[in-house]
Amino acid sequence: MRNPYEVLGVGATASPAEIQSAYRKLAKKLHPDLNPGDKAAEERFKEVAAAYDLLGDVDKRKRFDAGEIDASGAEKPPPQQHYYRDYAAGNHGNPYADASGYADFMDEDDPFAEMLRRSHHARANRRGQDLRYRLAVDFVDSITGATRRLTLPDGSTIDVTIPPGLVDGQTLRLKGKGAPGAGKGAPGDALIEVEVRPDRRFTREGDDITIEVPVSLTEAVLGGEIRVPTATGEVSMRVPKGANTGTKLRLRGKGAPRRGGGHGDQFVRLRVVLPSAPDPELEAFVASWKGRDYDPREGRTS
Amino acid sequence: MTMTKQEFLRSAGLKVQVLELWLEQRWLVPEEEAGEPRFREIDIARARLIRQLSEDFGANDAGIDVILHLMDQLHGVRRALAELREEARRGRG
Repeated sequence: MRNPYEVLGVGATASPAEIQSAYRKLAKKLHPDLNPGDKAAEERFKEVAAAYDLLGDVDKRKRFDAGEIDASGAEKPPPQQHYYRDYAAGNHGNPYADASGYADFMDEDDPFAEMLRRSHHARANRRGQDLRYRLAVDFVDSITGATRRLTLPDGSTIDVTIPPGLVDGQTLRLKGKGAPGAGKGAPGDALIEVEVRPDRRFTREGDDITIEVPVSLTEAVLGGEIRVPTATGEVSMRVPKGANTGTKLRLRGKGAPRRGGGHGDQFVRLRVVLPSAPDPELEAFVASWKGRDYDPREGRTS
Repeated sequence: MTMTKQEFLRSAGLKVQVLELWLEQRWLVPEEEAGEPRFREIDIARARLIRQLSEDFGANDAGIDVILHLMDQLHGVRRALAELREEARRGRG
């Protein structure tokens, strides 16, 4: 057995971080699952793993340095019995293996492509292909959940359940709704990429939703109850006395559903809006208002 | 021979939240029987590999996603190669 420091290519005074980084660098190159066709890599990987088992453990390393245990390591880690590649290459068929790495070769018009196609099609119990679709849903439906019917190119339809809280770009997998398989092979899945149409009222950030709501001068100054739209319908909200443009109020639990339970919040950003037409009474009132000289720009440098 | 979700969690030594995340990412795609997921031996080996990628190699989620995708393609290509070899042997013999 080689000296573990040599195996990892580090000096005897290497820090734990250096040892870990040396191990990772080698393991990434040599791991049998990242080298499914390389038998020699496996032997080297075992050596590297054993060396790291010794030097990566502060206690074992100390004992090794003190000569208490040798490079074979007093307690050897149980060798990994099977790698992923052993299953991936098995005759039972690897459900994850994917023909997209050579699909272009199959499209060609030559004897080689013909051979590839034949072997692809002749594969017994071949799983059907996944078929990809796109679907656009309204923002509100993405929050509350909905069912949408998708018409496929062949005229058939599938009902797609939009889970509550879906995010833009999320892909839904409908089991068995893809292309049929061969023999005992299962059908593929339909993969539906869902686009959430933007809503001019709501914006979403994580599980929280923000909406801007106009309030009148009276509501802002004196406070009051207003109705606010949420994804699940209108709710009542109290505007506190002295609210202002930019004031942010929280409607707890009115945001998007969270994974693992609960909901985010809806934030309501107020915008004070004056009557659209000039109002002589308001003018007269403001002209005689004691606070009329309040300068919100005071103290600004620009 | 397949396993239920509980059996799989035990054999693979995974927390249920982690599994849910992996299923959502489609890193693991079990079979389904009567609406229930059924896990295979290959899923255990794949789960172990995902853990190694993350814990031993420091790959993040995005990295693991890319690695698995390329690996699945690689195994597809290897299988196609193996079948072509069979076909060539038959053709000769």
